Amino acid sequence: MTSVRAVRTVRSVRAPGRWAVLAALVVLAVAMVSPFVIVTLNAFKSPAEYSAGGPLSLPKGLYLDGIIDFWNRVDFGEKFLNSLLISGAVAIAAVVLSVLNAYALGIGRVRGRLWILVLFLVANTLPQESLVYPLYYLSKEVGLYDSKLAVILIFTVIQAAFGTYLLSSVLGQFPREILEAASIDGAGKWRALSRIVVPISRPTLSVLVIFFFIWTWNEFFLPLIFLISNDNQTVPVALGVLQGEKMMDATMSSASALLGIVPAVAFFLIFQRTLTRGVTVGAIK
Amino acid sequence: MLKIGRTAAAAVLAASAMVLAACGGSSDGGGGGSSSGPRTLTLWHYEGADSAMGKAWAQAIKEFEASHPGVTVKFEEKGFEQIQKTAGMVLNSDEAPDVMEYNKGNATAGLLSKQGLLTDLSDEAAKRGWDKLLSPSLQTTARYDDRGIMGSGKWFGIPNYAEYVMVYYNKDAFKKQGIEVPTTFDEFTAALDKFAKAGITPIATGGAEYPAQQIMYLLALSKADRAWVDAFQQYKGKVDFHGPEFTYGAQTFADWVKKGYISKDSAGIKAEDMGVSFIGGKFPIMISGSWWYGRFQEQIKDFDWGSFLWPGGAMAPGSSGNLWVVPEKAKNKDLAYDFIDITMKKDIQNLLGNSGGLPVAADPTAITDPKSKELVENFNKLSSQDGLAFYPDWPAPGYYDVLVAGVQELINGSKSPEQVLDEIAQPYNDNLADIGN
Repeated sequence: MTSVRAVRTVRSVRAPGRWAVLAALVVLAVAMVSPFVIVTLNAFKSPAEYSAGGPLSLPKGLYLDGIIDFWNRVDFGEKFLNSLLISGAVAIAAVVLSVLNAYALGIGRVRGRLWILVLFLVANTLPQESLVYPLYYLSKEVGLYDSKLAVILIFTVIQAAFGTYLLSSVLGQFPREILEAASIDGAGKWRALSRIVVPISRPTLSVLVIFFFIWTWNEFFLPLIFLISNDNQTVPVALGVLQGEKMMDATMSSASALLGIVPAVAFFLIFQRTLTRGVTVGAIK
Repeated sequence: MLKIGRTAAAAVLAASAMVLAACGGSSDGGGGGSSSGPRTLTLWHYEGADSAMGKAWAQAIKEFEASHPGVTVKFEEKGFEQIQKTAGMVLNSDEAPDVMEYNKGNATAGLLSKQGLLTDLSDEAAKRGWDKLLSPSLQTTARYDDRGIMGSGKWFGIPNYAEYVMVYYNKDAFKKQGIEVPTTFDEFTAALDKFAKAGITPIATGGAEYPAQQIMYLLALSKADRAWVDAFQQYKGKVDFHGPEFTYGAQTFADWVKKGYISKDSAGIKAEDMGVSFIGGKFPIMISGSWWYGRFQEQIKDFDWGSFLWPGGAMAPGSSGNLWVVPEKAKNKDLAYDFIDITMKKDIQNLLGNSGGLPVAADPTAITDPKSKELVENFNKLSSQDGLAFYPDWPAPGYYDVLVAGVQELINGSKSPEQVLDEIAQPYNDNLADIGN
C-alpha cells in the first residue's frame, strides 16, 4: 500500500512534465497520421469534388469508383500477388542467407570477419542507382531481365547484406556455454545451428522477416527497372502508372496509394506482436 | 531443404526459359506475312484511358485488329516515369515492344536515335505520306540529326497529336467586370489591370513547375521572331540573354508580379494546384497548355469558360505531342508501321479531336463539339502563322530546374531580372560548349 501511494505522489509531482510529453506525442502522432488521413479523404472523393473543394475538403459521399477503376486499370490482384510472391520469397531467403552468413561470422569466427562485415556494410550503403547498370547487364546476360526471379535474387542479396551485418553482432554475443554443452553432447555444426542457435534467436529472426518483407514490398526503383512487362510488376510500380507527364489524377492517385498502403499496414498489424516481442527480447539481453 | 530449394530454383529457371522461348516463337514470323500463323503487336503508351489520346488509340487498336486478322495487339499501359527511366535499357534488350509512345526532344528521342535504338522511319514517312500530313513545325520534333538534335535529319518518330499554350478564361468573371475578350496585348494588360484594381489576382500560375516559365517565355516571344526561336532551340545562331527578347520577358514578368497580375504566393504552387484553382473559379485567367482542355471540358461545371490565343504576338510555346517510335530491336516492324498509319487516318484523328485532344491531321469540319472546334481552329491559326515556338526548357539537359529556380526568384523578388537572366544564361551556354557549337 505504501509503495502504491509513493508511486502516486511521484506521478502527481511529475504531472506537468508528463502532460508536455503527452502533448508532444499527440502532435507527433497527428503529423504522422495526417498524410494517411488526407490520402483516405481523397480516395473517396470524385474528381469533380476534388476540383471544386481542393484536397482538404470532406467527401460528400463514399465515391468508390476511383478505387474500382484503378483496380481494374492495373489489374491490381495480379500486382498484389506479384508483390506478395517477391516480398515473401525475399524475406525468407534473405533471412536464411543471413543466418548462414552470421553463423560463420558471428559464431564461427572466420578469419578477417571484421573486414567481411565492413564489406557488407559498404554494400548496404551503396545507392541503388549505382547498381542499376551492372545488374541490368548481368541479368540480360543470364536471361533474367524482366523476370521476377531477377528481382528476388537482387533483393535477397541486398537485404541479406544488412541481415548478415545485424545478425553477426547479435550472434557474436551468443552464450558460448550453450554451444560448448551442445558440442560435448555430440552435436555437429549443422545440428548446433538448427537445434540451438536458430530456435534461441527466433524472435530476432522473425523481426528480420517482417522488416525484409515490408522493405521489399515498398521498393520502387529496382522493380521499376527490372519488371518491364505489366504481368510482372509489383504494387508500387503499378502506382506509378497514374503519374502522367503533365497531368496527375489526384483522386485516383489517392485511391491507388490507399490500396498500396493497406497490405503493408495489415501485414504490420498482424505481426506487430512478434515485432514487439523481438524488440523486448533484444532489450533484455 | 537444400535439395528442394535447388529443384525449385531449377523449376523457376525452366519455366522462365519456356516463357522466353514462347515469346521468341510468337514473334519470329516477321516479314513472312499472314502465312506464319498468329502474330502479336506489342504496343506501349502512357496516356490515361479517359484522355483523348487514350480513347482514340483504343479505337485504333480495334481497327488494326479488324484489318489484320490473325494479329493480336498486346497493349500495356505504362507509367510516364517508367518509360522515362527505363527506355534506354528496355530498347537495348529483347523485351523491346514493337511500337511505343515516347517523349519528343533532344534529351529523349534524340538521345535514343543517336544511340541507334530507334528505327529510321524516313522511308515509311515518305511512302505513306506522313510527311505531307505534318506541318513543318510539327516535323521539327520528329526528325533528328546524327547528334540527336531535332529539326533536321532522319525521321525517328511520328507525332499523333499536338499541343500549344493558350489563355484560358472564365467568361462569367469577365462578364462581371465588363471585360471583353482581349484581341491585342494592350487590351489584355488593361483587362489584367481591371481585375487587379478590383482586388482579384487575374492569372493563376504555378512557379514550382512549368507554368510560370512558360509565361515568361511567352512574354519574351512577343519581342522575338522565328530566327530567334531557331537560334534558341536549334542552336542556329547566338542567343543574347540580355537582348531585347529575354530582357523584356523577365522584366515584364517581374512587373506583373509587382502590379498584382500574378500572385506573390505562386512561387510554391504546382501545376496541378494551378489547374484546380482555375477549375474552382478562384482565378479568371490561366495561361497554360492544351493538355488541360479535356479535363476542363469534363470538370468545369460552375461557370462558362473559353480560350483564346495569346494576344501578345504571333508565337506561343507549343509543338507536336509525343511520338510513336519503333525500336530498332522491334520484331514486327511492318505491323508497327501499319498501326502508326491507322492512328494518322482521318477517323482516328477526328475522334481524338472530338475527345478534347489536338489532332495533327483531322478534318476540321468533322470536329463537331463546339469547344473542341475552338481548340482546333485556334491551333490551325497558330500553326498557319508558323507560331509553334517549342518550350523554354528544351535546349539544355536539366534546364527545366534552372528555369523553375530563376522564375521563382522573379516571383519572390529576391533577384533582379538581370541577375536571373545571368543565371539562366550560364547553363545554356555550358550546354552549347558541350555539344560543340
